Amino acid sequence: MKRIDTAAESSTRLQRIREWTALPGGFGIITGISMFLTITILGVIYPLISPYTSDEFVGDSFEPPSWAHPFGLDQLGRDVMTRTFAAVPADIGVAFLGVSIPLAIGTLIGIILGISKNKFFVSLVSSIIDGINAFPLLIIAIAMISFLGPGLFNVIIILTIMNWARYARIARTRAVVVLQQNYIEAAQLMGYSKRRIIFKHVTPNVSSESLAYALSDFILVIIIVSGLSFLGLAARPPAAEWGAMIADGRTYLGDAWWITIFPGVALCWSAISLSFIVEGLSRRDRGN
Amino acid sequence: MTSNLFLRKVLGRLVRAVTISFWVMVISFLLIRLSPGDPAATRLGAGAEQEAVEALRKQLKLDVSPLEQFTSYTAGLFRGDLGVSLVNDVDVLETIRNTLPLTLTYIFLSVFFAFLISIPIATLIGWSNSASIVYSFRSITSVIIATPNFFIAMVGILLFSVQRDWAPVFGYVSEFPENLKYLWLPVSINTLILVAIISRVLQSSIVDTKSEEFVETGIIRGVGRTRFFFYYILKPSMAPTVVLLSYMMGTMLGATVILETIFSLPGIGRELVGAVLASDYPMVQGILLFFGVITVFLSFIGDLCAYALDRRVKI
Repeated sequence: MKRIDTAAESSTRLQRIREWTALPGGFGIITGISMFLTITILGVIYPLISPYTSDEFVGDSFEPPSWAHPFGLDQLGRDVMTRTFAAVPADIGVAFLGVSIPLAIGTLIGIILGISKNKFFVSLVSSIIDGINAFPLLIIAIAMISFLGPGLFNVIIILTIMNWARYARIARTRAVVVLQQNYIEAAQLMGYSKRRIIFKHVTPNVSSESLAYALSDFILVIIIVSGLSFLGLAARPPAAEWGAMIADGRTYLGDAWWITIFPGVALCWSAISLSFIVEGLSRRDRGN
Repeated sequence: MTSNLFLRKVLGRLVRAVTISFWVMVISFLLIRLSPGDPAATRLGAGAEQEAVEALRKQLKLDVSPLEQFTSYTAGLFRGDLGVSLVNDVDVLETIRNTLPLTLTYIFLSVFFAFLISIPIATLIGWSNSASIVYSFRSITSVIIATPNFFIAMVGILLFSVQRDWAPVFGYVSEFPENLKYLWLPVSINTLILVAIISRVLQSSIVDTKSEEFVETGIIRGVGRTRFFFYYILKPSMAPTVVLLSYMMGTMLGATVILETIFSLPGIGRELVGAVLASDYPMVQGILLFFGVITVFLSFIGDLCAYALDRRVKI
């Protein structure tokens, strides 16, 4: 009897997943998530099972792709496949921190601005936010590196200092709308504490919009992290990082395309997987 | 009455642009203060003599109180004095003036070709009701947008510079017919990315415009085809595109930094990267300020254009 129950339950769950996928954008979302999971899981597992490490010299320089080295060897005889997957924490990991920290800080500040009754404070902080947002993110990141010095850790600091303002603006606009909703008034009438209203009622309703932006920002930040490394301003050699590897391979593009192309494909793969998710979600939102 | 309202709106938007520019100035002034420790000592390295560090501090005006520094910085800006390069003693404003034309030419060409290509694509796809065409259009463009421009550049170089000798990667000649040889590949890459962005926005706003009542009115009144297309469909659909383009300007300037560095084009972006690598603080500060202010005013102009195209736009 119990067996049948679980079977029935699992079939409805399967059905539910199938129905969910059949909704608009479902295919894109599923494709995007599986692509993204593939690269992250490979990034975690491959360096562990690979016979080589990312900065080990394992053979002749410029050895073309073969069965032993599917992505070939680079200019110093390092295994490009190991390096490509070992770069996942440097790119996706740094970009993840560079999005999630500003997301948290910015959303908090935005909600405070939305709630605050102090007009002077609100207009002062808002104009600072506008000032920060006026700078193109890549340009200000490049400029700040000249004062902070190159390095992936500094890139996270720069993104924290500069990227929160975009989230704060989104959260503030949204918080003003949410605060006018009936359910907030209802919560106030129920006598809930201010803190409970802010954390249980305002924040969840504000953050849905911020999270949607964060997803597309993730793409931009991955491109910025790898772009800075490409310019030699973030990850420095011999670190395994896609942008730096592409820059490395550039000199040998004519003789050894694999040094550049494989890390580049991994980079595109990650960014495109996220953009499929974004595209699918927005299709679902529009409902077509 | 209408013109009065228009003027008031424009003035209000201008005041906002000036306020933002003020903060842009404050931020670029504050940046040098971010560096851990003394920027002068950091730049000269650990083995530097005390006098040299002091001299550099004086040159960077770090030896006076922060408030004095800020007033002299601001006063300098109003005189058009952005400081002098630490590397070759060239005036920062002079350098911007020398490197900007190439960057502008390059951006202008990309935007021009991008519109030329995007308008027909977006119109055709906006007009077709086939879901699969629209879906594949949106998938292809989102793939192009998500691909980093430096990787597209690498593939371009591999195809056109390494395998065939069509696009030289080093050097630049600024005379007119010669420079096209150096510019066509970077401009094409930028155009490709812009086409993806612009045609997406234009396509979705054409779809929105199609369902407006005035379009139906136009059909009923039997407006001529050309007039119908340009006045009833394209003009109102352009407003969101122009707004987007002016906001995109910043990202586009960021993108040129990378492409200029790759193709060694002597534009303002490559100058910035060079200044960062050489720790040329006044140059970095000056170029950053310039980028910030130009972005603010481009979005101001973009909003005005959008308002002129479609009076329902909020500015």
